[in-house]
Amino acid sequence: MLYRPQSLGEAVGLLTSDPNARPLAGGVSLVAMLNARLIEPSALVSLARVAELHGIVTLADNALRIGAMTRHRQVAELSELIRPRAVLRQAAAAIANPTIRGMGTIGGSVALSDPAADYPAALVAMSASIEIAGSSGSRCLAAADFFLDWYTTALAPGELVTAVHLPPPADGAGVYHKLARVAGDYAIVSVALTIETAGKICAVIGACGPRPVWLETANAELARGNVAAAGDLLAAASDPLDDSRASASYRRRVIPRMLARAFAEAKALVRAL
Amino acid sequence: MIGSMDVMLTVNGEQRALRIEPFETLLSSLRDRLRLTAAKRGCNQGVCGACSVLIGGQPARACLSLTANCVDHEITTVEGLSTPLALSPLQTAMVRAGAIQCGFCTPGMLITLTALLEERAHPTREEIRVAVSSNICRCTGYQKIIDAVAEMVETSPA
Repeated sequence: MLYRPQSLGEAVGLLTSDPNARPLAGGVSLVAMLNARLIEPSALVSLARVAELHGIVTLADNALRIGAMTRHRQVAELSELIRPRAVLRQAAAAIANPTIRGMGTIGGSVALSDPAADYPAALVAMSASIEIAGSSGSRCLAAADFFLDWYTTALAPGELVTAVHLPPPADGAGVYHKLARVAGDYAIVSVALTIETAGKICAVIGACGPRPVWLETANAELARGNVAAAGDLLAAASDPLDDSRASASYRRRVIPRMLARAFAEAKALVRAL
Repeated sequence: MIGSMDVMLTVNGEQRALRIEPFETLLSSLRDRLRLTAAKRGCNQGVCGACSVLIGGQPARACLSLTANCVDHEITTVEGLSTPLALSPLQTAMVRAGAIQCGFCTPGMLITLTALLEERAHPTREEIRVAVSSNICRCTGYQKIIDAVAEMVETSPA
């Protein structure tokens, strides 16, 4: 059965009452998995008509709430995503191709938690949080605590990603660098980096393990300007796969170089402020 | 059919009543039920773009769209771009430039480029290239496709 609820409560109710039901957002990954017979859900709950999941608003504390049904294309064009927040705009623009960016949603991508996808590293780097709804109400979880393992998140059964919250604007810079065989392919390695003029630095490596890779020690080295040391720490902490895109050892060698490039660009952007 | 659903779709300006499977893709409905076979089943994974159609004016993969979820929007396929008597200007430009080799990607390319030209009447070559990156031409005939649009745009009034 395919349900098309009109409200969040109705959607959560349907998902809670049937543990084998799956929420359907843009369909880019879920319908591809259905077509490949990788999943056999008992029911699908389309989120297309759930108003609470649509729209982008600035909250009272100046955080930005991006509804889960926001397409990658809209994120890539959001004028609010400047300075450190630009990391998310650049990550969105690097996803797949224009048609897929018009279909896929930020909530769907976040909930799928594919480590080779572009959003996870960017969201961790900018200290975003994930808004979640379940039968007992709504909660927010730091992105750093949300992505747990290959295709595994902190979502409990019946819970649903309802939005992504970005922290209030800050001075500084954010960059997202992606190494891929061709534009639009999944990343071999990606680097998401934010630098706030106030001092905070966060570097996150994507596509190199079951979840985004970041380390307090690496961020501390970056704050002291020791880019090579930070890169070595992150490469050592990564756990990449050998696959058709690249070998694990190649990925580990590339991490420090990509970090150095991203750091140089972000530093130049901060100096130009 | 057990668990089948009755839906009303708007395809190329016509209302079409359909009985579908709950998880049926728009591509299956168009090709197998409505016999609109311009949209092609290439990869069935959303990668190749041969199944592209317009949903609510936006290019989308018919193979990744569930029919039951498409009832709120108007659907346009290549069959709806022209009349039996006249090709669309884009189609004419493609023919003139020889932008077709085996032809399998052509319907998807037409959909993607029709949407691009709706959005901006005079795209640059770079913008045409970015748009076409949504579709795979395994003959690798991209250059003539890009030329076709560029030439059409150059000769059309600003």
